[in-house]
Amino acid sequence: MHISFLIHNAYGIGGTIRTTYNLASTLAEHHDVEVVSVFRHRDEPVLAPSGKVRLRHLVDLRKGGPGYEGDDPEYERPAAVFPAAEGRYKQYSALTDRRIADHLRGLECDVVVGTRPGLNVHIAQQARRGVARVGQEHLTLSTHSGPLKLALRTHYPRLDAVTTVTEADARTYRKLMRLPGVRIEAVPNSVPAPAVAPADASGKWVIAAGRLAPAKRYDVLVKSFAEVVAVRPDWRLRIYGAGAEKAKLRALIDKLGLYNHVFLMGPANPLEAEWVKGSVGAVTSSLESFGMTIVEAMRCGLPVVSTDCPHGPREIIADGTDGLLVPVGKPGAIAAGLLKLIEDDELRRRMGRAALENSARFDPAEIAGRYERLFADLTGRGALRGSLHRTRGALLSGALKTKDASRSALRRVRAA
Amino acid sequence: MTSSPIPAGPADAGATVPEEFTIVSAPPRADCIADSAGGLTFDLDAPEGADASGHWSAALVLLRRGGNVVENPDDEVRLPLTPNGQGRLRAVLPSTVHLPEGRWDVHLGGGDAEPERLLPGLADLRSLVDRRPGPSTSPLAVRIPYTTKHGNLSLRSWQRAPHAEAGDLGIDAKGITVAGTLHRVEHPEAWLAGAVAEARSRRGAGPVRTAPVTATGPDFSFTFALAELGESWEGGPEVWDLWLRPADGSPDARVARLLDDVAEKGTVFVYPAQPFDAPYAPAQAGPFYTADNDLAIRVDERPPIR
Repeated sequence: MHISFLIHNAYGIGGTIRTTYNLASTLAEHHDVEVVSVFRHRDEPVLAPSGKVRLRHLVDLRKGGPGYEGDDPEYERPAAVFPAAEGRYKQYSALTDRRIADHLRGLECDVVVGTRPGLNVHIAQQARRGVARVGQEHLTLSTHSGPLKLALRTHYPRLDAVTTVTEADARTYRKLMRLPGVRIEAVPNSVPAPAVAPADASGKWVIAAGRLAPAKRYDVLVKSFAEVVAVRPDWRLRIYGAGAEKAKLRALIDKLGLYNHVFLMGPANPLEAEWVKGSVGAVTSSLESFGMTIVEAMRCGLPVVSTDCPHGPREIIADGTDGLLVPVGKPGAIAAGLLKLIEDDELRRRMGRAALENSARFDPAEIAGRYERLFADLTGRGALRGSLHRTRGALLSGALKTKDASRSALRRVRAA
Repeated sequence: MTSSPIPAGPADAGATVPEEFTIVSAPPRADCIADSAGGLTFDLDAPEGADASGHWSAALVLLRRGGNVVENPDDEVRLPLTPNGQGRLRAVLPSTVHLPEGRWDVHLGGGDAEPERLLPGLADLRSLVDRRPGPSTSPLAVRIPYTTKHGNLSLRSWQRAPHAEAGDLGIDAKGITVAGTLHRVEHPEAWLAGAVAEARSRRGAGPVRTAPVTATGPDFSFTFALAELGESWEGGPEVWDLWLRPADGSPDARVARLLDDVAEKGTVFVYPAQPFDAPYAPAQAGPFYTADNDLAIRVDERPPIR
């Protein structure tokens, strides 16, 4: 198959970029794969796909470069196709509308894959006939704004498939969106096997990693660790990552007198070398679209104590087998979970081994295999059936457009 | 990570949009594994043009930053690169190789060519975490690989005998308490029995304050009262370096934190400052790690309460 990914900017750093490269690189072992980046702001990508993946851009934003297009008059005019309710709307323009449309109408692939809502809308409207249209949801439907949900309801019926990263989000899509004939499938993100040997459960360290952002609730983790230290002063906590909450967390650590036990390590890349220095992983988020760090820690042989927040953790962790799920926002519950693993060396070792085994299902080969089967199903559909679905999708899409203009529809979707 | 961030997409002659071109001369990345004795093993991909027959003459070249190899041969350490049996090249830096204290930039050198700076790969430093060196009287060797702010691979090196490793610190109204462990003296208990802790001011004539040391085996603890450190303070930052001085006239031990995987302690091991009333003005005092990971106490002005 010839597979073409469409991504906002493949030259930066981010979860979507990383996971797209993982998937594209693995698919490229057996298929012809390209990644098309709407924007390019630097010469070399920070992350990189394997050499078999072709990478190109549609709009050149390299300042001072010969191809710089940021001064194009079309670039100043607002986008009309890219939905205004999308978070990245301001970066899109009449120029991106035209370049993306030209690219999609000229596609010579079997499958085109969009990696964010606005690009999925482009694909729904503009991908050449005969190309299977797949829209990926890397966040969740419920975290999108009402107006964006409306836009997606209008355009997604013209897609062939929507993929989510959790079953929970796939259920939300099935429940709230009217997408007859559109395959809605949960395919988790992939995490490659680490290049270091797994942890051996001997290090007396708990490890957490992620942006120091409010949703990660590291304040709750620090508070819970005060309770851990009261029982086991020989165990300590490392939190990797940078972010706006750093000063607040520093103040909290000092206030609780935890400066000998809790350390803000700063950002680290790659993280796998850091996970293996510990024996227990901790995730205290109030919301995780997926829960990439849980899988990363498990692939390094760490059992993870995670809050049972929406959406990902409970689909990754088998509670009591390869990790523990605890209630959201409760330092006492997190401390109890951590102490359960800290106080029982054999349990920690056993769960670590189970985490290592169970997380193999997120290997890029497994995940790419699921995408491969989905793509094969979509392209294997008879041309007649495909076109019938499209016609139906187009009719329904038109009907919804009218209907969604009414206030009742707006309210209903917002209530979702 | 062994993967390179350089795109290597083949140019597609038939495409209408320009494609990425393969970049052939990316600097190699060196993976590094530390052992608990303080030794480091480096593995890297054989550079282009490496002689597959085994006559490859390349070496890992460590150059001391700020050093001068012409005047001081000790500012360069060459480690032979040999096949590691898995298609890559390996260099080993055992803890027994003398590597004077400082920062060492890691290069790839071969023949007469100018040494090429190496990029960091995957660094597996887990055996350095909570390191407990065995008893010995030879200098303690500590080498921690790290990524410089320009993204290159370098090492921090320390050679110390004796060495006073700082552990947990206590900060309260009484003063600043340091707990730690003495390494690399023949009889730690006897050494510590008559020892005192010294705080040596970097200011003026360099006044010195002393505090008694309590010890159990090689573990020690001492407390400096805030009032004592603030006695001669007259505004501005005053830094006190911390030492242990034995009774027998043998060399003093600098109090430092060296025995883990963190190359730069100052940004990770951070402590609050304790407010107190110095005779001159309201002040605060707090411990911190210097650029060389030595422990010091800073007495300074108290910021206004906001």
